[in-house]
Amino acid sequence: MFRMLTEMAGDAAAFGHFGAAAGYALAARRAMHEFGTGPETWKHIAVGQRRWANLNPRAVMHDKPMTDEDYYNAKWLVEPFRLPDNCLVNDGGRACIITSAERARDLRHPIVTIMGMGQHNPSTAFPQATYLAGPTGARQASETALAMAGITLDDIDACEIYDCFTYTVEITLQDYGFFGPGEGEDWFAGGTIEPGGRMPVNTSGGQLSEAYHMGLTPLTEGVMQLMGRCGERQLGPMTSTKDPEIIVCSDNGAILQTHSCYILRRW
Amino acid sequence: MTYEKPLPQINADTREFWEGCKQHLITIQKCGNCGFLRLPPSFICPRCHSRKTDWITATGRGSVYTFAVNHVAFHPAFQGDIPYVVAIVELDEGPRLLTNIVDCNPAEVRCDMPVEVVWDDVTDEISLPKFRPVL
Repeated sequence: MFRMLTEMAGDAAAFGHFGAAAGYALAARRAMHEFGTGPETWKHIAVGQRRWANLNPRAVMHDKPMTDEDYYNAKWLVEPFRLPDNCLVNDGGRACIITSAERARDLRHPIVTIMGMGQHNPSTAFPQATYLAGPTGARQASETALAMAGITLDDIDACEIYDCFTYTVEITLQDYGFFGPGEGEDWFAGGTIEPGGRMPVNTSGGQLSEAYHMGLTPLTEGVMQLMGRCGERQLGPMTSTKDPEIIVCSDNGAILQTHSCYILRRW
Repeated sequence: MTYEKPLPQINADTREFWEGCKQHLITIQKCGNCGFLRLPPSFICPRCHSRKTDWITATGRGSVYTFAVNHVAFHPAFQGDIPYVVAIVELDEGPRLLTNIVDCNPAEVRCDMPVEVVWDDVTDEISLPKFRPVL
């Protein structure tokens, strides 16, 4: 295992730099310096997503409520990240079937279509990266996806964002244009992304509190919500949120080096 | 006592860099065509794709671009070091290095803090460039 750890880290291993948490912690620290984010913002993401997980019986953290105080009392992993800033480590699987609209029409379940998609990969050796505090690939990917869909952010009812770390959610929504640099703390405050909030985010609990299934965590939740198959956490009257018609989802890779944005619609 | 931490895996691209470190010099590549200064070492310029490459010696001074404080030893050889600081240092010449900040309380490290190289001779063949605050 140590061989795998050190081989994946490359020469960075010589300096004790291992894994994704360490890389995203470097990005998050630069963001703290550039636009004043930090744990006060990220706690809203960790705690808000946990509230969704508490409504999701499949979530790893279903039976584990989390308060702001619990967040601040959690141990540092790679500072500025505490344990709840990190996604889960779990086994499991997800699947999503993509077929033609003609074929889907005959199926038993309601169907969901792809309105738009965009990808941008500002890939470089990450120590040389100029995008750690944004704009990441999320900016251009979302512009492409929104243009293809022919909509604006005002048309979005909920977000399913790749959340390897809390900071990833903040920088993705910031780059999408939901708020300006450093405005995240105010935007998230007051339960914006939680059940009953005005912009639900990661409604299964996400990778932070439901399960880490790579890009399939946001994708399957977006599809399931639009199909109306989410039980107690279903967007709409059940959770005092808007009945969802359009959901934006994301995926990203490496240390913010790749980004995919796609927009789903109930059909 | 044997050195138990991972060592750089020297390859054809990086050999000259680590040879420089052995002499306590940070060397960086300069494109022989467009003049772009670059790290990590590579045989082709990422800006203009020229293969003409020169090496220059950096001053060893720079500033902390960003940093993270490791509170968990993901590799057991670092257990005695926690909490330790991993940083990206931007050299005065422009390119950046992933490194450690040493001789400094982790709680006092700041982005943009001026730093200078300090050499850690970990084996007969390998010297690691680490950085400390400029007093």
